[in-house]
Amino acid sequence: MALILSVLEQGMIYGILALGVYITYKILDFPDLTVDGSFPFGAALTVRLITMGLPPVVTLPAAFLGGALAGACTGLIHVKLKVRDLLSGIIMMTALYTINLWVAGAGYVAIFNQDTIFENGVVNGVFPGAAGRVKTAAVIFLITLLSKLLLDWYMSTKSGLLLRAVGDNDTIVTSLGVDKGLVKIVGLSIANGLVSLGGCIYAQQQRSFEISIGTGAVVIGLASVIMGTSLFRKVTAPRVTSSVVIGSVLYKGCVALAMFAGIDANAIKLITAVLFLIILVISMDRRKNPGGGLT
Amino acid sequence: MKKKILTAMMTIMAMSAAILGGCGDSGKDVYTIGISQFAVHGSLDNCREGFLAGLAEEGFVEGENLKVDYVNAQADTGTSAMTADNFVTKKVDLICAIATPAAMTAYNSTMDTDIPVIYTAVSDPVEAGLANADGTPVGNITGTSDALAVDAQLQMIREILPDAKKIGIIYTTSEANSISTVAAYEEAAGNYGFEIVTTGVTSLSEVPLAAADMVKKVDCITNLTDNTVVTALQSVLEEAGKANIPVFGSEVEQVKAGCVASMGLEYFELGRQTGKMAAMVLRGEAKASEMEYEIITEPSLYVNYAAAEKLGLELPRRYATDAYQSFEEIIVE
Repeated sequence: MALILSVLEQGMIYGILALGVYITYKILDFPDLTVDGSFPFGAALTVRLITMGLPPVVTLPAAFLGGALAGACTGLIHVKLKVRDLLSGIIMMTALYTINLWVAGAGYVAIFNQDTIFENGVVNGVFPGAAGRVKTAAVIFLITLLSKLLLDWYMSTKSGLLLRAVGDNDTIVTSLGVDKGLVKIVGLSIANGLVSLGGCIYAQQQRSFEISIGTGAVVIGLASVIMGTSLFRKVTAPRVTSSVVIGSVLYKGCVALAMFAGIDANAIKLITAVLFLIILVISMDRRKNPGGGLT
Repeated sequence: MKKKILTAMMTIMAMSAAILGGCGDSGKDVYTIGISQFAVHGSLDNCREGFLAGLAEEGFVEGENLKVDYVNAQADTGTSAMTADNFVTKKVDLICAIATPAAMTAYNSTMDTDIPVIYTAVSDPVEAGLANADGTPVGNITGTSDALAVDAQLQMIREILPDAKKIGIIYTTSEANSISTVAAYEEAAGNYGFEIVTTGVTSLSEVPLAAADMVKKVDCITNLTDNTVVTALQSVLEEAGKANIPVFGSEVEQVKAGCVASMGLEYFELGRQTGKMAAMVLRGEAKASEMEYEIITEPSLYVNYAAAEKLGLELPRRYATDAYQSFEEIIVE
């Protein structure tokens, strides 16, 4: 039971991260490595705010804004300083490593006995007597759902439509008299805001911050996006955001299943990679079929 | 297709549930423990082996009346958390967490259960939020700390190098263990007439550069149990060798690999001590929530005569008898 809840919790938390990666990777076509820094950035901000004694709910907008700022920096480095996309992300990721240590104050910080978004008067009032883990999963579900709905809503606004257009065909955007650089910066901000929000929830679910939690975050995000969009390839917006979150849960589910089945932990990463490859290849086959046209 | 996958997954889950249900409580003839180790690392592996040896000495023998489920998280906190949740799902009798992040995730996962957690190789349980300042546990969790015997180490360096003034320490800025140990060194160094020179690094690739710069400024280098620096130990030894200054280790593996000497922890012993604590908890003699965490009180001396000879260093004669273990050659694994 705890493992299933763990999969759901981690899957949905990384699902929020995956929503961010979806924006950069699928919509903007921007390989954004800022993610490895902005995920722990959200977590670092969170433990700092909580140890300062602020109400836990404040951490959610704070982490989103912090991550958005980091994303905006990546965007500015790329657009204004004309640094290549991959490098802009790497630069920001590297800078954030130090910033995260400063913000959190140490390589690891525990918040075991503090109020979190899962453990506070309000939540305990809404779910009286509920077991800790169920409560946690419920709260994560609500936040993930809300993030997804807000993102869906944003995508239907004018700004959101422009964002989608930049990724598909940026000449159209330029011909509309819109600065495509600005659109990219906005997209990166929202994406990293979401990633950082994921980090914020992760830190509270784990009741601790650890500097290395960002390592490989972008890979998990990409895997989730690709799994989600490949397995449910016929769906279109806004349901594509749901499939990204489901992809993330499936990804964590595979890891858990392998672990539960007693497969050597050392082999899990290899198995993940193989699984990842299989899904990619299957989805590519379908893409080459009738109608053709590689994307 | 999708339905088939779903059916297959459900079948697997149902089967595993049946297997688990079947082997449930059998009057505790066989105990099940889960070992969550954070990373692959010589010291941590020694810890785990010591832990199992300690349990065996107390009558809990793996394969006989003890079932051990071992997972290594490969330094990934997400995997570490899932490992702990997996153990909770399997309702193990006890979780052994090796290294700080593993201990923190295990504590987080078991908070709502009555599964005890015994940790080891946690340098500062208080800092990690696992123990109160007086050493009592914060929950159903206790274990052993691998805090370094800083004073003993400084005293040993003074004996070997009567004229040395500056000791260099390279550490990783993100490792809280290292930061607290550096602080302890800086505080104690004055008592032995030393000055500590530190260089912080953030990744493996910076260690050789830091070492090359460090050897110009100091009379010797002393190592911590810093994961990154220990991994790059050979490059530190190489730079120090070029400058002809000794490097002191913090545990046996480092001395084996070419450090001159160390007044350090024997991780196997630490694990063994932890195993005995776990045995008490398993037998029901004590509760993890009531046991203070322990440290190794008597550090062990390790010397490497080959490393000393290479530098033309003469080691105090009594080390021949005092050393817990001495090496006549440098063994690089």
